[in-house]
Amino acid sequence: MDSFGIGISGLNAAQKAFDIIGNNIANAATDGYHRQRLNLTPAYSSQIGPVILGGGVDVAGITRIIDSFLQKEIFLQQSSLEQVSQELAMLRTVENSFGELSAGGGLSTALDDFFNALQDLSAHPTETIWQNQAITSAQILAAKFQTLGQFLTTLESQISLEAENVINQVNALIGKIAELNYNIKRQEISSGQAYNLRDQRDQRISELSKLINVETQSREYGVVDVSTSGIPVVINTSALELEVGLNENLMLGITVANEFNYNTDIQGGRLGALVSLKNDLIAGIQNDLDNLANAMIQQINQYHVQGVGSEGSFTSLTGWVNESVDLSDFSTVAAGYTYIRVTNTSTGAVTRTQIDVNQDAASDTLTEIAGFINGAGVANVTASVNSSNQLTISADTGYKFDFLPAVLPTATTDFAEALPPTVTVSGIYTGTSNDTLTFTVSGDGSVGNDDSLQLIVTDSTGMIATVNIGSGYAVGDEITIGNTGIKIALSIGDLNQTIEDDKFTVQVFGNTDTSGLLSAVGINTFFSGSNAQNIAVCADITANPKRVATALGEDMTDNNNALRIAALRDQAVTALDSLTPGEYYRRLITDIGQQVSVKQSHQKNVEVMVQNLASQQSEISGVNINDEAARMLIFEQMFKAMAKYLSTLQSSLSTIMEII
Amino acid sequence: MSGSLNNIYNNVSYALYLHSVEMARLQEQATTGSRINRPSDDPSCSYRVITLNSQEKSLENYINNLSEATDTLELSSTVIQDIQSAIVETKVLLTQVMGGIYNEENRERLAERINDTLEQVVSLANTKNMGQYLFGGNNTTSAPYLTERTNGEITSVTYQGSLENREIEVAPGIKSSAFQVGYDIFGSDDRSDPVFLGDTGAAAGSGTSSVKGDTWLTVTDDGGGSYDLSIDDGATNVNVAAEVLAGADIANIAVTNASGEVLYVDATNISSTGVDMVSVPGTYNIFDTLISVKDLLRNERELSDAQLRELQDNSLTVLDEINELIVQTEVTVGSKIGFLDNLKESLEKLKYDAEDEATLLQEADIAQIAIDLSRREVLYQMSLSIAGKLMSLSLLDFLG
Repeated sequence: MDSFGIGISGLNAAQKAFDIIGNNIANAATDGYHRQRLNLTPAYSSQIGPVILGGGVDVAGITRIIDSFLQKEIFLQQSSLEQVSQELAMLRTVENSFGELSAGGGLSTALDDFFNALQDLSAHPTETIWQNQAITSAQILAAKFQTLGQFLTTLESQISLEAENVINQVNALIGKIAELNYNIKRQEISSGQAYNLRDQRDQRISELSKLINVETQSREYGVVDVSTSGIPVVINTSALELEVGLNENLMLGITVANEFNYNTDIQGGRLGALVSLKNDLIAGIQNDLDNLANAMIQQINQYHVQGVGSEGSFTSLTGWVNESVDLSDFSTVAAGYTYIRVTNTSTGAVTRTQIDVNQDAASDTLTEIAGFINGAGVANVTASVNSSNQLTISADTGYKFDFLPAVLPTATTDFAEALPPTVTVSGIYTGTSNDTLTFTVSGDGSVGNDDSLQLIVTDSTGMIATVNIGSGYAVGDEITIGNTGIKIALSIGDLNQTIEDDKFTVQVFGNTDTSGLLSAVGINTFFSGSNAQNIAVCADITANPKRVATALGEDMTDNNNALRIAALRDQAVTALDSLTPGEYYRRLITDIGQQVSVKQSHQKNVEVMVQNLASQQSEISGVNINDEAARMLIFEQMFKAMAKYLSTLQSSLSTIMEII
Repeated sequence: MSGSLNNIYNNVSYALYLHSVEMARLQEQATTGSRINRPSDDPSCSYRVITLNSQEKSLENYINNLSEATDTLELSSTVIQDIQSAIVETKVLLTQVMGGIYNEENRERLAERINDTLEQVVSLANTKNMGQYLFGGNNTTSAPYLTERTNGEITSVTYQGSLENREIEVAPGIKSSAFQVGYDIFGSDDRSDPVFLGDTGAAAGSGTSSVKGDTWLTVTDDGGGSYDLSIDDGATNVNVAAEVLAGADIANIAVTNASGEVLYVDATNISSTGVDMVSVPGTYNIFDTLISVKDLLRNERELSDAQLRELQDNSLTVLDEINELIVQTEVTVGSKIGFLDNLKESLEKLKYDAEDEATLLQEADIAQIAIDLSRREVLYQMSLSIAGKLMSLSLLDFLG
């Protein structure tokens, strides 16, 4: 009898509805759950004569309430949020490690203190207390660099380890997604909808999107393909494992396991953040810090190698260990010259010798340069290179050497007269490059006596001064040559222009290490190292503060080297984008701050977006307890009504049976 | 349909998170008193603040060095004044001698007093401050003046300091020297033609002589009708006839000594042997002058009274020249001190301005923070209250 069928269909429908409602309420707080709805349709109707009767209600199926487009958008924004959050957290850590604007100060304070100490030293170049202060402040500066450099290197290592950890999680999730795909497909092929499994699978994809960007493609039977950064990781029910590692340029990337074809353009999720941090953000900061440390080392050493401390010239100097003797392996050594001065400590006689560096095949290794010094090159000085490629220069007994740019006390003369004057030279050259001052006699006569006698002084740029050495000049008096800082004095004697151009020359030096050799191999340097991690004050400086090279002059009591080293504070350096060290560092630290600030804003924006999308999703797919309760009421009433209907039918049948 | 359980939970937790983050930020500002605690709080302001802090430190260092330089110059000024007093005292004594009231014994005692004055002046010229010699120029580690003595008395004073100034940076791009070059300030460098004081008939030649201060020209007979000239008491001699034979002009004979100094002599009118004092105005230094005065008082060369008087008169002129030099030096040092004082004031103002600007940029508005914090606390509490109400009530509560 159809009537009973109608009643039973109603009860059946109500019961299924209760199941769905119960399932929804039970999963109201389940992450990733999408509420389900029972689909009811009127049942097959029958015709009796002219009357068409309904057959009750059919359960057509269950619908999972989901907006797939919204879900994809959520994956995308989630991925973006995780990436920016991870980047922000790491950059904040880096910013905090620099410690600027906090009590105690950071590298900025150390830089300031160092240059202040150098300035103090220039005012007291021979006093031990100020020498020690300069060294201590340099050591503090080096320690700050080392701490930051080491921190960034450790951070990079941690990022690589973290990336491996994340890729393991990614692989686990990929595997799970593939497994769920298989189960969903099997279930939906055989027995219908597998919505709970789909929810689980989609939840895994959501978790995956937080680790790395994902793109999904739906297939039949509820299967979803997943790809990331162009790599398909889940195809149907198969999973592909990923690996993380460094490519040939030491950039972090991912690849399919065992293929070693690293893709470094990873966006989204924690892994995207880690790759971006390692390859770009942290690497950029480390590079800038290393640049700064290297520039400080180079700039200070280039001046320090040329000076002497209060201890004076040297009897022996040994450089640091090098990886090679080949000068082409030294990035800071150019073709040029090094000028060494040798002083006889008994007589005071001084000679200067030019050492060719990288000029030809005979001067392009440390061994060859040592050979030149030992051979006919530099008298009374020997040099050697040991098995660790350290260069040692030593003076013979009774001699000392240095690399001072001080003028030699006598000029190179070309006089024709029988009784020419002697020329003594003194002073400290104020120019920055090497040159030759040529003094050409104008007029004939006796020094101090004849009106017309003059000297025309020229350098590589042309005439720089004309000085009177005739009547009005008292022999022995010093004459300052223009703004060069050089002084000459002539004794009594005769000079001649007419018969032969009498002249003399004075070599002046702004740089006695144009090749950069001394700085590169650690001879008379202040700092050692080449980057933030290995910058240090040279051991022989810390052991003997009198070795801090403050002087440039012949008598080694001046402060000119200390002054020019201190002046580096305000000197723009090409390697630092033509900024001073302080400006470069301030730019570095505020760049970090700017990045943090931008990431913060970005994070806030994406958070709001994710929040809105999540709200939207909740509205569509979330379980509303009130809604479920209302529906439960409806189906409860329906169930009661159907039960009443069946009871009424039963009673009607009984009545009919009684009649029969 | 809105109002799902997850939706309510997400909204509430997000709101609470926002309020918490903001309250933490405000709390940090209140605790530190600063609105910028790290560069990311305000990157452009941070750059300015770090720059100002650096500038402040640098200025403080300049001010310290400047103060030290000023102290050194002030001490130098005091020493120079003491030396000036010694010169004035010497002049008074010499004037008294020239008044003719001193006998030989008294002149000897005066000579000893001049020697004492000389000792005092040398000691003053070798003054140290904080381990650095004031008048050695760039060489502050060794005493600039070295004395030679005979029988305990100073016979010569030699300058062995540096001829270069010790320049230090006292302000960005500005250098000044605190340590004087004694050779320049205790000696003139404004050479005039030599003045011959004596009876030999010798006069100044046309060449530019290089002798300084007082030089004794000894004219002796060469036994051949000519004269031998010497400026180092016969250690080296120049024969007039031989020089003329070699082509020299008799009116301009170059008389040299072993040190390479030269005195050009017009020997045309030399008529007798003897010793002339050659005075070169504008080349005197304090020490040689005092030695000269002392020697004159003792008259070791046994000059005649007239010669002695002429030379003592010249000595008074020289003492005036030295005094003038010292006064000029005092003025120079004084103006340098004045310049440095003004510079210090400017630097202190710059430092104050830098400090002030940095504080203004960083300082947190505590009153505003207090208001914002209260507001956030209220919002936080409201969020909690609403969450409680929304999440505790549902239709299920009303079903039978």
